[in-house]
Amino acid sequence: MEVLREKVEEEEEAEREEAAEWAEWARMEKMMRPVEVRKEEITLKQETLRDLEKKLSEIQITVSAELPAFTKDTIDISKLPISYKTNTPKEEHLLQVADNFSRQYSHLCPDRVPLFLHPLNECEVPKFVSTTLRPTLMPYPELYNWDSCAQFVSDFLTMVPLPDPLKPPSHLYSSTTVLKYQKGNCFDFSTLLCSMLIGSGYDAYCVNGYGSLDLCHMDLTREVCPLTVKPKETIKKEEKVLPKKYTIKPPRDLCSRFEQEQEVKKQQEIRAQEKKRLREEEERLMEAEKAKPDALHGLRVHSWVLVLSGKREVPENFFIDPFTGHSYSTQDEHFLGIESLWNHKNYWINMQDCWNCCKDLIFDLGDPVRWEYMLLGTDKSQLSLTEEDDSGINDEDDVENLGKEDEDKSFDMPHSWVEQIEISPEGTNILEIKEWYQNREDMLELKHINKTTDLKTDYFKPGHPQALRVHSYKSMQPEMDRVIEFYETARVDGLMKREETPRTMTEYYQGRPDFLSYRHASFGPRVKKLTLSSAESNPRPIVKITERFFRNPAKPAEEDVAERVFLVAEERIQLRYHCREDHITASKREFLRRTEVDSKGNKIIMTPDMCISFEVEPMEHTKKLLYQYEAMMHLKREEKLSRHQVWESELEVLEILKLREEEEAAHTLTISIYDTKRNEKSKEYREAMERMMHEEHLRQVETQLDYLAPFLAQLPPGEKLTCWQAVRLKDECLSDFKQRLINKANLIQARFEKETQELQKKQQWYQENQVTLTPEDEDLYLSYCSQAMFRIRILEQRLNRHKELAPLKYLALEEKLYKDPRLGELQKIFA
Amino acid sequence: MNQPCNSMEPRVMDDDMLKLAVGDQGPQEEAGQLAKQEGILFKDVLSLQLDFRNILRIDNLWQFENLRKLQLDNNIIEKIEGLENLAHLVWLGSSDSHASASQVAGITDLSFNNIETIEGLDTLVNLEDLSLFNNRISKIDSLDALVKLQVLSLGNNRIDNMMNIIYLRRFKCLRTLSLSRNPISEAEDYKMFICAYLPDLMYLDYRRIDDHTKKLAEAKHQYSIDELKHQENLMQAQLEDEQAQREELEKHKTAFVEHLNGSFLFDSMYAEDSEGNNLSYLPGVGELLETYKDKFVIICVNIFEYGLKQQEKRKTELDTFSECVREAIQENQEQGKRKIAKFEEKHLSSLSAIREELELPNIEKMILECSADISELFDALMTLEMQLVEQLEETINMFERNIVDMVGLFIENVQSLMAQCRDLENHHHEKLLEISISTLEKIVEGDLDEDLPNDLRALFVDKDTIVNAVGASHDIHLLKIDNREDELVTRINSWCTRLIDRIHKDEIMRNRKRVKEINQYIDHMQSELDNLECGDILD
Repeated sequence: MEVLREKVEEEEEAEREEAAEWAEWARMEKMMRPVEVRKEEITLKQETLRDLEKKLSEIQITVSAELPAFTKDTIDISKLPISYKTNTPKEEHLLQVADNFSRQYSHLCPDRVPLFLHPLNECEVPKFVSTTLRPTLMPYPELYNWDSCAQFVSDFLTMVPLPDPLKPPSHLYSSTTVLKYQKGNCFDFSTLLCSMLIGSGYDAYCVNGYGSLDLCHMDLTREVCPLTVKPKETIKKEEKVLPKKYTIKPPRDLCSRFEQEQEVKKQQEIRAQEKKRLREEEERLMEAEKAKPDALHGLRVHSWVLVLSGKREVPENFFIDPFTGHSYSTQDEHFLGIESLWNHKNYWINMQDCWNCCKDLIFDLGDPVRWEYMLLGTDKSQLSLTEEDDSGINDEDDVENLGKEDEDKSFDMPHSWVEQIEISPEGTNILEIKEWYQNREDMLELKHINKTTDLKTDYFKPGHPQALRVHSYKSMQPEMDRVIEFYETARVDGLMKREETPRTMTEYYQGRPDFLSYRHASFGPRVKKLTLSSAESNPRPIVKITERFFRNPAKPAEEDVAERVFLVAEERIQLRYHCREDHITASKREFLRRTEVDSKGNKIIMTPDMCISFEVEPMEHTKKLLYQYEAMMHLKREEKLSRHQVWESELEVLEILKLREEEEAAHTLTISIYDTKRNEKSKEYREAMERMMHEEHLRQVETQLDYLAPFLAQLPPGEKLTCWQAVRLKDECLSDFKQRLINKANLIQARFEKETQELQKKQQWYQENQVTLTPEDEDLYLSYCSQAMFRIRILEQRLNRHKELAPLKYLALEEKLYKDPRLGELQKIFA
Repeated sequence: MNQPCNSMEPRVMDDDMLKLAVGDQGPQEEAGQLAKQEGILFKDVLSLQLDFRNILRIDNLWQFENLRKLQLDNNIIEKIEGLENLAHLVWLGSSDSHASASQVAGITDLSFNNIETIEGLDTLVNLEDLSLFNNRISKIDSLDALVKLQVLSLGNNRIDNMMNIIYLRRFKCLRTLSLSRNPISEAEDYKMFICAYLPDLMYLDYRRIDDHTKKLAEAKHQYSIDELKHQENLMQAQLEDEQAQREELEKHKTAFVEHLNGSFLFDSMYAEDSEGNNLSYLPGVGELLETYKDKFVIICVNIFEYGLKQQEKRKTELDTFSECVREAIQENQEQGKRKIAKFEEKHLSSLSAIREELELPNIEKMILECSADISELFDALMTLEMQLVEQLEETINMFERNIVDMVGLFIENVQSLMAQCRDLENHHHEKLLEISISTLEKIVEGDLDEDLPNDLRALFVDKDTIVNAVGASHDIHLLKIDNREDELVTRINSWCTRLIDRIHKDEIMRNRKRVKEINQYIDHMQSELDNLECGDILD
């Protein structure tokens, strides 16, 4: 090692260049490779290769001129929190401990490289590596498992090589900074990954060690291309239907077997040659690609993550290379040695020999012979096997105990100085938005907006007034690309779906009595009308209407139209009939409408060439011109109807769009009839009910109103009334009531008089000032008069009514009093 | 009544009259011009009106095969006739000749005529509306064939018996009935009676029957209607029973073992055998006969069951065969359809390309290409068809072999069972002969204790007589067995031959039809192309 290190200085420069070259070459290689995939046991089919080629060609590799630099100059440290810029006393203490530990270590192991204990952070503050780990559980369920975490780290960060490939870096930045700039060296990578893994419960460690050239440079050229690894095809079990006894035999194969055999032989030969050639090629490539013996083998510093078994059901220890996100067994030959490893709680130095890479290492961190720990009191249990070593702990010369006697044994790692690690989806492009709705009156359930295509899709629950099911569109303007699906059972016309493009409209139907299943209309460009007035009703001219029908079982096939095409512009109508069950051809008929005049100037009604028909089973009556004429007339009418239908459909689309816009603007909510608070109708009903109840209650109270109570109160309670008392009570009650009636009459009378007086006064005033009055004043006066007259009349009526009713009421009370059980004495007197 | 036609001479329904009527009532305007140009065939006429023509006799209507509606009202027709060929008629009216009218199939209007009895309507099974208003009909009958009858108009006739209504119960679709101005409509109970007996009727004498009336009527006539219904149900059940029995027998017949599931054959053996019957009175013969019959019947039942089983087997065989053939044809048709669809797609585009092409040499080249395509399609379709023919031939031959083998095996087994019958008969014969001879000996010796019937005693004259008698009985029995066996064998063989013939014939027909279809299609395509050529050259 010593010898090698001397070389280092000279070779460093060359090495860096070489590395750059390597990387370059590797990329080139990657692009060239697809055709000649090596190490591939699965023989690839031609199409998979083509597929692969396509996929690979889609991968764009930008070869940046200079290697990405990630130095502290580019980092903005002004906004970093205070913990980044200073050390707490505890941290200071820890650093002292670490220094002490380091001194003792270098004293005891002078031939080993200095420890990677407290590199500087982005603020030039030394921070102990364990405190740089910030265990974090990400809020994304996708980042719960180690493989997705590793993949994320490898995908998200850009790899920056170490400034000196033979030394650990002088700086180790916080994961927050690394994430912010999306760049980092292997130490940054593994620190971030380790933080995430510890956060999600793994027993993970950052490793400072030595890796192979490929590993350090993230050179994957010698890996199998992941795209060539085919997913295991699920083998379909074809259920072989037992051939029935009389199943026809397949047609005889008329090819010569001899020729076939020869052909097969030839093919095999060609294949063999091809194989041989490929093999040779491969060998040549292998030779060429074989890693050149690396002069710095075993000296290149690398950092990766070690995951120990035990937690999160990890069955076996393994490494994760943070650059690629791949996992490796601890025996892998890429990993050449381990100096030290750490987690957020402690720091261990590897005391085992790494002559055979990491293959012989035992990752029992509790074994102090193999792993020298820095802090005592961690959760790593001591090995029970090393019981006898316990005695050795007290041995001063022993390495395990160095510098620990005088330290506080229960010293634990200070909290991480790093801020909460956050991965925000900021900066990502929104691809699609989904919005769910409920309780909408327009039955909208889900709104899906695809940001890349700008396609909006609304999904509706059953019950929309237009029976909408799905509406997908790019713009709410009519005559644009649009698909509307309907709940066809809710519609009279059985429309299932209507698709629109600027020039066509296609409708799909189901369950119609006329068996129509499909209607397609294509439009021509709108003709400019000279009259500007009819701007709203200038429908596009229809060029062609195609209609298809289901089979109508009531009609024979040769009379049941399967498809009819109205070529409106050409005045041509094409019919295609259904195919009879035992036939392979279907009848066709084509009508050409030519309103021409023959040589004599007579109008041609119908000529045989106006109807070209092909009949599978020629029939007699269809040959007749009369039949054809009638059929054509019928079709003309149908065409008119179809055109009308298309036009109506267009109108309906307009209507739907208008309705949708209104609904979107209003977005009223449906209110369940059981929701008595919000449902207006039920609220009204309930309030009416309550009012009625209340009135009922009032009435009841009134009936229960005790007219005797005030008088009874004067007497001692609980005693039976004497006859004399009863009589007196009755009289008092009656006289009181009489007084009330009189008072009321008087009150009405007084008001009546007052009103009358006022009116008279006003009239007088009017007559005096009649000449000088403005029209407004006069109006005012007149309205006052009419109102006053009304009031007077009402008062008059009330008075009269009171006069009428008063004696009756009086008598009624008297009657009641006689019957009152409390005044039972009275009855005795009169009885 | 105002009857202006009365004054006219009766006229004959001749060709001229019909032609005139058809022409007048046919299409009008432009279509009429066309029709005149081409002439109208009587069989294309759907509706015909021959009213107020003083026709005495219905005649010359046989050509109007597709007539749906016929109106013969206001004539002096006396008899419904000559309507046998108008099976599609839905509406017939012949009211008002003088007293009676009738309507025929589909719609027939024979109102206002002089018809006295309903007749000649047996072929008009599609008739829905029949009007015989104002005729001289006195009895409703001869309408049994008109199962679809919905409207019947018999107003102003001479129907006088309520029982005619019951006859109308058989028309399940009848909803409208008119019987006003008949003697029965005078009856007090007229409406109630009809409502009760024709509960599905909706309109009577141009008026809707309300539910209330229906209920009342039902209540009033409930007892008699229930009885009627009961009788009808009984009849129905009996009919169904008979039907079921017939079906059962039919099933046995298709298995060729009818009447073998009992003692029918045995009984028939003795039915014409007087000697045998006489001999059964011999002492000991009764028991012998009993055991003989038991054994015989067991064998018969064996044959019967075996026959049914074999029939089942043959049926599955035939079903499998037909299914496979059908599948093969279906598959072949699908292939053909696909080929045609592919061709048409290409053909259409090349046709339109030709139309747009201007250079003559190019056009010719394209047309050549097109016809090459057509002949290629022809070859492809014909190859498909040939393939199918070969495949089917092979399958059919295999089926033929199998079914013949099956039939052969069946016959063999039946014959061996029949041989057992014969053995039994022989055995019985021997026993009987023994007994007879011993009896004869006893009689000769005179120590026969029992009395024998006179017929029987007459046989015991001498040995020859008795032996002859027993022999005759035996011969008859054997003959019966032989006959039954022969019948079975002949019938199954002829069935087998017919089946195979039919299969071969069907296949040939199918092949012919397909070849014809293909040729027709190809011809059409070719002629279309040729027309295009001509058109282009002309242009």
